[in-house]
Amino acid sequence: MERRKGGSRSMSGNGAVTSGVIKYARDNIDTDVIIPGQYLKIHDYAELATHAMEGLDGDFHSKAKDASFIVAGRNFGCGSSREHAPIALSHSGIKAVAALSFARIFYRNAVDGAFLLPIEIGEDAYEGTSEGDVVTIDVKAGQLRNETTGKRYEIKPFSEIIGKIIDAGGLFRYGMQQKQQQQQPES
Amino acid sequence: MAQNASTLFEKIWDSHEVLRKGADGPSLLYVDRHMVHEVTSPQAFEGLRANGREVRRPDLTVATMDHNVPTTPGERRLPMADQTSDLQVRTLEENCREFGIRLFGMDSPDQGIVHVIGPQLGITLPGATIVCGDSHTSTHGAFGALAFGIGTSDVEHVLASQTVWMQKPKSLEIMIRGRMSGPHAVTAKDVILYVIRKIGTDGGAGHVAEYRGQAVSDMSMEQRMTICNMSIEAGARAGLVAPDEKTFEYLRGRTYTPESYEEMVDAWKKTLRTDSKASFAKRYEIDASRIAPQVSWGTNPGMTCDVTEAVPDPAEYGDGDKPREDSARKALQYMGLEPGTPMTEIPLDRVFIGSCTNARLEDLIEASRAVRGRKIARGVRAMVVPGSQAVKRSAEEMGLDAIFKDAGFEWRESGCSMCLGMNPDILMPGERCASTSNRNFEGRQGTGGRTHLASPVMAAAAAVNGHFVDVREMDMPDGTV
Repeated sequence: MERRKGGSRSMSGNGAVTSGVIKYARDNIDTDVIIPGQYLKIHDYAELATHAMEGLDGDFHSKAKDASFIVAGRNFGCGSSREHAPIALSHSGIKAVAALSFARIFYRNAVDGAFLLPIEIGEDAYEGTSEGDVVTIDVKAGQLRNETTGKRYEIKPFSEIIGKIIDAGGLFRYGMQQKQQQQQPES
Repeated sequence: MAQNASTLFEKIWDSHEVLRKGADGPSLLYVDRHMVHEVTSPQAFEGLRANGREVRRPDLTVATMDHNVPTTPGERRLPMADQTSDLQVRTLEENCREFGIRLFGMDSPDQGIVHVIGPQLGITLPGATIVCGDSHTSTHGAFGALAFGIGTSDVEHVLASQTVWMQKPKSLEIMIRGRMSGPHAVTAKDVILYVIRKIGTDGGAGHVAEYRGQAVSDMSMEQRMTICNMSIEAGARAGLVAPDEKTFEYLRGRTYTPESYEEMVDAWKKTLRTDSKASFAKRYEIDASRIAPQVSWGTNPGMTCDVTEAVPDPAEYGDGDKPREDSARKALQYMGLEPGTPMTEIPLDRVFIGSCTNARLEDLIEASRAVRGRKIARGVRAMVVPGSQAVKRSAEEMGLDAIFKDAGFEWRESGCSMCLGMNPDILMPGERCASTSNRNFEGRQGTGGRTHLASPVMAAAAAVNGHFVDVREMDMPDGTV
């Protein structure tokens, strides 16, 4: 059986990716609009993803064809502990959510399974990014570059361990890597 | 300041820290109790199986099915009408059998909402670390446990290792001074809705909240569970109340209360409290005597006002904060409300008394005060969904079921039900509901459904009147029903 960990198209904690932006100019985008409760029974992630953002935006999937980033306000992902929320976004092609702040469980779930990058941005990047803009998220340089406007913004860097977990492809893969490193004889 | 002064949260954290990576963490925490339900566990068990792992401590793991079980009497059997729910319930049964985990299944007399049965069975203990793949795990903090929700990857990690990685949150004090006005009319639900309204839906982010003060000491265990339950709605990782005699008494002699309980109580009395010189990273203070019955008007629990107030104007609500104003405008659009409409003049279609927030015996007793001898309003459909089979049995012994049924309420079997719309109990698009649950998010109770959060007695009174009323002015029997 194929291991399910890791979003289908997740990006690394170090790379730079350029894509379009879907902007939700609001705070408190909750887990129930990201993936409504009635779909938590669905085990197939591709099918689950067809219901992503159903509670908020009926055009989400057509937008996601050309855009892999969501830009949103404060407290993104508040509410339930359902890991289905980052999974549904990830399997819809979302590689990163750039928000003013995140609810902690959503953030943790996004990282744990390396489903997508939760990027914390400031008011400047939030205000300076519009729907349809093309931006580059460069984690290594700590930058969000708006290619449409030519403006550059700082993003909050990941802590060392979060960067490592994302690069490893999730919590379990990171743990296995650590174990393997410990088992290697010292040179 | 004394060097070793610690908050209750820090004490529990320190006593469970297995190791810390570097000075700043994260830390690996030992887990004393792991509760599992059907929705967030299947992939975790699948992961164990795919990697040939076992459950590290099946004796510290318990499971129940609550999220998508039918609550209609007579329909609680397999196969269930909803095939995907049926599969999820069967999968949990198989997983528990294969991995040796105790399951309170659909036909168990101990079945119920995971956060109702944990305390009821004596599985929840003071000073313990408790996790569950459910954000309302914070409920168990009412007993002075460090209890928080985790995602499915973490559920798998806990099943495999009995530990969880976590960055240490900060300590937050929520001091609730004074006494609540209006006995039976202003409740723990009003207190926590008021707290969230004041500190915001992310006011507790990155923190573990300890609720302190006279109003909290005065609360029963079930009331404390209601406030801790909604800690997550203020963004807090967990909510806590220091254990006291009420706590110890509540857990005494329950089915799974440990044999050495009294010795444990003696130890807890010495340790499980915040030292007087300990400092909190953040503090809020609330005056309980100023709290009126609360009703939510918007699409997050912070969008709440006094029942005596009117639907706010988004510009006033935003007070110069544009995203906040926009959020309020979108919320009113979704809720189909006009600014300035008194909360008591909004007609309701449905009433839901239930959920891990407010479906314990006391909640049903309090709700019944507003219902006894009355009928629900024309055009309103109302239901009571007890939090567990044990709550249902106790309520029936007291005759509460008759009070509700005589008034026209449906009396259901236990489960999460219409709190989150996973089983057949859902709102139809546009239907407006007074609900004792915890979230008024868009679509939470069914696509297009409109949720107003309130206390059990407020919801019950709303069912009788067809709209919200100030229950402080309602004629209700005193004493026990």
